Amino acid sequence: MAKCFALIGWSQPVIESMQKTGKPFVVVSLPEFEPIAKEQEIPFVSYKLDTWSDTSNSIDLFEKLKPFGADVAVPLYEETVEWAGALNSIYRDDPRVLNRAMLFRNKAMMKRKALIGGLKVGLFEEVHNPRQVEQFMDRLNEANLQLAGEEDSWVHIKPFSAAGTVGHKLLRSKEDIIKKLQEEDFPCLAESHLSGKEFSCEAYIHGGKVRFLNITEYVKLGYSNFVPAGPELQARRKLIHDHVQQLVDIFGIEYGMIHPEWFLTEKDELKFGETACRIPGGHILELVTKSYGFDALAAFVLIHDPSLTGEELNEIFPNDQEHPGIYNGNVMIYPQKKKISELIVPEELHEDPYFEDHTLVPPLSGQKLGDREGFGNHFGTINFRGEDAERMRGLLEHYQTVDFYH
Amino acid sequence: MEAIAERENNIFRRGIDELADSSSLTKQEKAMKLVSKMERLVVSREGIETLYKISGELDSAGIFEGTNWETPSTLVPSLVRGTLLAGPPTSTMEVISELRLLAVSLGEYQMSGFTKEQATSFLEDVLVQNLDFALGTLREEARARLRSREVKKVFALFTYMMDHLPLNGIKERLSEEIKMICAQRPVETRKTKDLIKLIKDRIDISSGSESDRELQFFVDAVFHPSPFSEKYPDPKTYASEIKKLSHTDIIKECKTMGQAMEQTGLVSPCHLPLLAHVIGSEDERELVGDCLALSPAGRAEWETHREWLLKFSKEVAMTHSPQSIYGLSRLLNKTLLSRKAVLAGLNNMRGIKVHPVVGRQIIKSLDDSAQNEEPLPHLLSGIVRILGQPLGVGQGNNPTCQSARGISLWSRHAPAKLIDMVITVATQNKLIMRFENSELNSNKLGKGLVDKLDMELDVVSAVLVPHLDKIYNEMMRLASGRGEDPHKWVNPSLYGHWIQVGFASAYNYLSNSIMDYEGFTRLYYSSFHPEYNGGKQMTYPCPIGIFITSAQGEMLGFHAISLLRIGENEEGEMRAYFLNPNNEGRQNWGQEIRPTVFGNGEEAGESSLPFHELASRIYAFHFHPVDHVRGVRKVQAAEINRVRQLASESWGKKYIWSDIPKIW
Repeated sequence: MAKCFALIGWSQPVIESMQKTGKPFVVVSLPEFEPIAKEQEIPFVSYKLDTWSDTSNSIDLFEKLKPFGADVAVPLYEETVEWAGALNSIYRDDPRVLNRAMLFRNKAMMKRKALIGGLKVGLFEEVHNPRQVEQFMDRLNEANLQLAGEEDSWVHIKPFSAAGTVGHKLLRSKEDIIKKLQEEDFPCLAESHLSGKEFSCEAYIHGGKVRFLNITEYVKLGYSNFVPAGPELQARRKLIHDHVQQLVDIFGIEYGMIHPEWFLTEKDELKFGETACRIPGGHILELVTKSYGFDALAAFVLIHDPSLTGEELNEIFPNDQEHPGIYNGNVMIYPQKKKISELIVPEELHEDPYFEDHTLVPPLSGQKLGDREGFGNHFGTINFRGEDAERMRGLLEHYQTVDFYH
Repeated sequence: MEAIAERENNIFRRGIDELADSSSLTKQEKAMKLVSKMERLVVSREGIETLYKISGELDSAGIFEGTNWETPSTLVPSLVRGTLLAGPPTSTMEVISELRLLAVSLGEYQMSGFTKEQATSFLEDVLVQNLDFALGTLREEARARLRSREVKKVFALFTYMMDHLPLNGIKERLSEEIKMICAQRPVETRKTKDLIKLIKDRIDISSGSESDRELQFFVDAVFHPSPFSEKYPDPKTYASEIKKLSHTDIIKECKTMGQAMEQTGLVSPCHLPLLAHVIGSEDERELVGDCLALSPAGRAEWETHREWLLKFSKEVAMTHSPQSIYGLSRLLNKTLLSRKAVLAGLNNMRGIKVHPVVGRQIIKSLDDSAQNEEPLPHLLSGIVRILGQPLGVGQGNNPTCQSARGISLWSRHAPAKLIDMVITVATQNKLIMRFENSELNSNKLGKGLVDKLDMELDVVSAVLVPHLDKIYNEMMRLASGRGEDPHKWVNPSLYGHWIQVGFASAYNYLSNSIMDYEGFTRLYYSSFHPEYNGGKQMTYPCPIGIFITSAQGEMLGFHAISLLRIGENEEGEMRAYFLNPNNEGRQNWGQEIRPTVFGNGEEAGESSLPFHELASRIYAFHFHPVDHVRGVRKVQAAEINRVRQLASESWGKKYIWSDIPKIW
């Protein structure tokens, strides 16, 4: 059993889950969280995680964590993955743990690794300017045997290291290259469009084996998802499980959780999109907790501990082969107007038997909204719960189009 | 159904458990989620009941932890209103807070540092300061801010509190409240009567104190105003027992009952059997004057039209609406039947076949006990009451001040036109009005201002308002985009030729600014103030647009009222008397501006303010286009500045002011 977990990043739900487990932990986060940590009597190490220098580095942090007896580091956010990787390299005395963490932080490197290992990925390239994007699109068009007058092949542009969909741009034509790309987008990854149904998995890994696998169905990327996935995806559970295990093997991941995104084609083939190894967005672990009835956040932390025994693991996780019989889903709500002054929740939402709760906040009067970056700033989430996946999907589809802010 | 209830229970259970189980880190987020689950419940009585039962548990689970509600001893009753007006989730939290305090007050829940007595006293203050919520009639401020769902929420909460709190502590305020409501002689008295019944059932008023005597007076007026009705308060028993009374006793019954009605505007259920008895007996028919509290003119009117009235009064649905007796009494005092057009109109109405849709609407506006009745007698009752009490028209809980203002105006100045409109809508379920060169048919128009009319309205409004509202909206649409306030054209078209065609608006739509406020105010003074307009009195009501401001003087929205007359009160203060089609003439508009309804020379239903105070809230009015300039220059600069200061420091903060003079 780990002596002390070092949680890298400030997350109130995770802290609360850890408090409930009664296991020792220490939080490492930015100095601005120190007062609240003190007030709440949370073991805390204040650290400038956004700076890397002679006085701010993993060796130094390792020293600072010594008094707490920390021996397992857990990354909670995309930006803290390297920190946790570096610390775990020290703890496990294995320099490659850090290298693996780097895999998650560079999408081109990640894809290359997956490709080498035999997973199906799209065509991709690292690009440094718009001209290279155009050339990439030309080569794609050529490979797709484009005839004169036909539409261009779609190209996705992604920053190497941003979380989720931040900075993601879809280019449908040559004009889009001129219109949508700016200098600060480069260098980045250019990628061919993958078709198929997109979904994600949350795989808890221990000793290099998938210990618990959840499949999340995306109703609309960045807007809505539900857990576990509906019968169509569940029917491919074995295929998905095998691919996830293959990914784990290729990446050499031993402990922790990965959150890969896949595309399921009509021919029942899986293509690898990308993966992360921190807590997924979209409140997915909250949904996992509710559907499977175990604390998925605490489990996320605990699974990083190499010393967990098989018995302890059995206590933490339910049997993932057994369908829990209930779906929990959510839809994230974004205002549709630039200027909003009022929150109006339609009556039929309150009346719907699948409605669980929501966290929508009323706007400040006459609030003006900045431009959207990724799917970062939603105004709240609506949660649903029910037994029928089809109905769940219908509800989520409906409410992502409803304008709650006027 | 059971499955749904159980499911709901589970959802709740999960939420409460999660809340109780969470640390202070996530408490507030869990609390907000739990509150979102309650939204469905807080709008109904059953829901409030459910929440009341778990309110203590919610409090213990920490729903208020880290919020302003955490320590009840620091709560301030006068802030409750603002919080309730703030919309969800804040308003829902406030509801839960009141419910847990109610549980403390009733001894069903204990909180450390907050006693049963403290809870009771807090809730009493809340009730008294928000009697409009308790009575189900909103002040304009609340109407402007609340969506219909939020209205249901506050009504459900306050009804529940009224039903469960001991009310003895607020007797004086209740007595004052009822007095003020009655002073305005509203057509709709259901809520007033409900309150009086509540007092009768729930409050001990036998102490003989001043307020107890006043409350007793109102209870008597509603239930047993005369010696004999006190003995036999059930109307049926009363009807059979009065047959045995001597002539002297009948005189006494008629006089006391007539007086009670005259003094309160409220009619007891025993009044009808008495009136029927008097009318039915040749010997006692001369007592009708006393029974109806008629003036000498009213008595003459009764004599003149006696035969017609004997027939007509039987056709009016008085059993369900004893208030129509008061309407009839006022109608006679106004000698309206001596106008041929009115008599003919009423005669026509007696024979109409009510359109089924309108019929349903009429019945919908009545109490549940009248759901199987024929609509026509109720329509007749409705028209009698509106004609008798033109200033008692109210818009109910609807944003339809324009329509209410029209009904009141026609009732006073064009009763036959009003009757004719009612007949048209009642038979055809449509209303056609002319706007410039087009005919507007209400049936072919889209939405009006209201989606769903709140049917707690008098019958005539329930029939007319849906149509008037659509026509008004369409006229506004047709007249928009002309660079000036559309009311300039809409008011004369909608209300008729009583409206002067001169029109001034200080508010410029295009630039969202206030233009030449000094010139505007001078014009207002020279048009209406007797010192500057050559001492002329107003002949017809003048539609006026005002800015509604909150008790803090903040701009809330636009509102339509009718200026009725200008005159001095007993202290020699020049006042403006107006109709606020809102149900409640008493308001607090901030800056110490509080319209009164009583004590400053107001007739029943009128509101009044010092001349300059009303002036400071006006942004548009109609004026006589010929001799309006007479006194423009005579108005003192100091007077103008006084008005301007009130305006600029309240609603005026929201606009840009331009002082470039313009030609009015």
